[in-house]
Amino acid sequence: MVPMQHAIEINGLRKAYGDMEAVRGISFTVAPGEVFCLLGPNGAGKTTTTEILEGYRARSAGDVRVLGHDPEQGERALRERVGIVLQEAAAQAELTVAEVLTMYGRYYPRRRPPAELLELVGLEGRADDRVKLLSGGQKRRLDLALALVGDPDLLFLDEPTTGFDPSARRHAWSTIKDLCALGKTVFLTTHFMDEAQALADRVAVMVEGRIVALGTPEEIGGRDVAPTEISFVLPDGTALADLPDLDGARVSEPAPGRALIVSTEAVRSAHALTGWALERNHELRGFAVSQPSLEDVYLRLTAREPEEAVR
Amino acid sequence: MSAMSQTAERPQAAARGGSGGDVALTAWQVAYEQRAFWRNRTRAFFSFGMPIMLLLLFGSLNSGGRIAELGNIPYVTFFLPGILAYGIVITQFINMAGGLAIQRDSGLLKRMRGTPLPGWAYVAGRVGSTTAVSVVMGVVMLILGRVFYDVHLRAEAIPAVVVAVLLGSATFAALGMAAVSIIPNAEAAPVVANVLILPLSFISGIWYPMTGAPQWLHDLANVFPVARLANCLHVAFDPLNHGSAWSGSDLLVLAIWLVVGVRLAMRFWQKETAR
Repeated sequence: MVPMQHAIEINGLRKAYGDMEAVRGISFTVAPGEVFCLLGPNGAGKTTTTEILEGYRARSAGDVRVLGHDPEQGERALRERVGIVLQEAAAQAELTVAEVLTMYGRYYPRRRPPAELLELVGLEGRADDRVKLLSGGQKRRLDLALALVGDPDLLFLDEPTTGFDPSARRHAWSTIKDLCALGKTVFLTTHFMDEAQALADRVAVMVEGRIVALGTPEEIGGRDVAPTEISFVLPDGTALADLPDLDGARVSEPAPGRALIVSTEAVRSAHALTGWALERNHELRGFAVSQPSLEDVYLRLTAREPEEAVR
Repeated sequence: MSAMSQTAERPQAAARGGSGGDVALTAWQVAYEQRAFWRNRTRAFFSFGMPIMLLLLFGSLNSGGRIAELGNIPYVTFFLPGILAYGIVITQFINMAGGLAIQRDSGLLKRMRGTPLPGWAYVAGRVGSTTAVSVVMGVVMLILGRVFYDVHLRAEAIPAVVVAVLLGSATFAALGMAAVSIIPNAEAAPVVANVLILPLSFISGIWYPMTGAPQWLHDLANVFPVARLANCLHVAFDPLNHGSAWSGSDLLVLAIWLVVGVRLAMRFWQKETAR
């Protein structure tokens, strides 16, 4: 057997629908055991890309390898090793949860017992209920169980927690993290920043068919080297002009009475500000020091023209 | 059925690749489809119960009636093969077209395509299941006809009836699958299916004999498989027919429709399962 370098390998992938080019030449690789997240606004080409990887769509150009196979060939050997959670897909409504898991299990050479799957997704106690009686969130959990029934090496999750309440989302995240601990490769799409932040080893931001940034959630879009933001409420009777000299930091008042300092030397700036406040006996309400959030970076990246983007 | 849950615990059963495993998989698909079919009471009534109910209803309404144009045979002797043909068309065509349209729209077909189950095995599972329903319906009708209406099927005609039921089932299942392409959404499925089937049933000699109809209407009806299936069964059941129970030309036209249906259905499968 040839040693496998990448779980997913994409090189110059393009997909056109008529005149419209949904995917405009993207390249990236996903390592085995990695959680890779494709993040982007609606219409960015995320689902098209994912469905090409899943084997549902044919590409217009470029090379694609999934677990060493070309997904376009629809080989059974590949489908046996891949689990897919689609955005929206029903299961057999008249069968019970346990029957559906057993039925799908028969398709795979390697399979997990239904009881174990139900425990993993938190559907214990619903084994004998018909699928049509499950709530929306429970159906999503069944989707995940069905994607895992063949004990896949690679799992595709297309917006897996859309429509979940916060506690169900936390539960789904911990399930996905458990899967990573088992060495599964996960390819995830989402438009929730916190989801990408919580789960992904690496994030690719896709805008208008192109990857505009790629990196870990901590460093993506230059987040790790971006200036720090310090903000607080200006004490009564003081204005921006009263603040101490902050030596090159950018000072502004984004809302009346609220100060925002953007500094590349955060410790020095914070020290100067707090010293100034103590001296005058001011309380700096809402004092906060923060890096730009993933969401800030994402909004900046997706608002720009792709050509200008930070790589 | 406890057998299912038991085999589920055996981690590496037959499923891997080989054709023997796939045949077993198909058999399991038939079993699951059967289970789902009978659990959906509305659908089971519509496609299994209603043709039988129509047999009892029309049979009782015309219990003493005879049909002069057909050599004075009892009405029920004429009606039973026709309603059996109609039942097969309903079970196969409407069930397949409506059921697959729902499964397409809900994403179930897309989910199935993402699994290692071969597409043909999924389709074979559905066709096998609906054909089983048609066969059971035929047996029930024969028993009811024999017990209540004195309808007899001569032993030599039984193979012809079996072949007609199986070929008709396959043909209308394939055509139902092909029809999914022209059904825009699941809600429209029963309407589209009935618009195609109901008028054809009226010109195909199912409800009453076509003896008074003009030739062009006969010719038109004979292009389509509904009249052909009905005719196969009429010939086999005809008490005045002492010759061959087989109707070769009708079987041939049914077979041609089967090939057309399968070709169209295969095109459907590629396109619609990725939707």
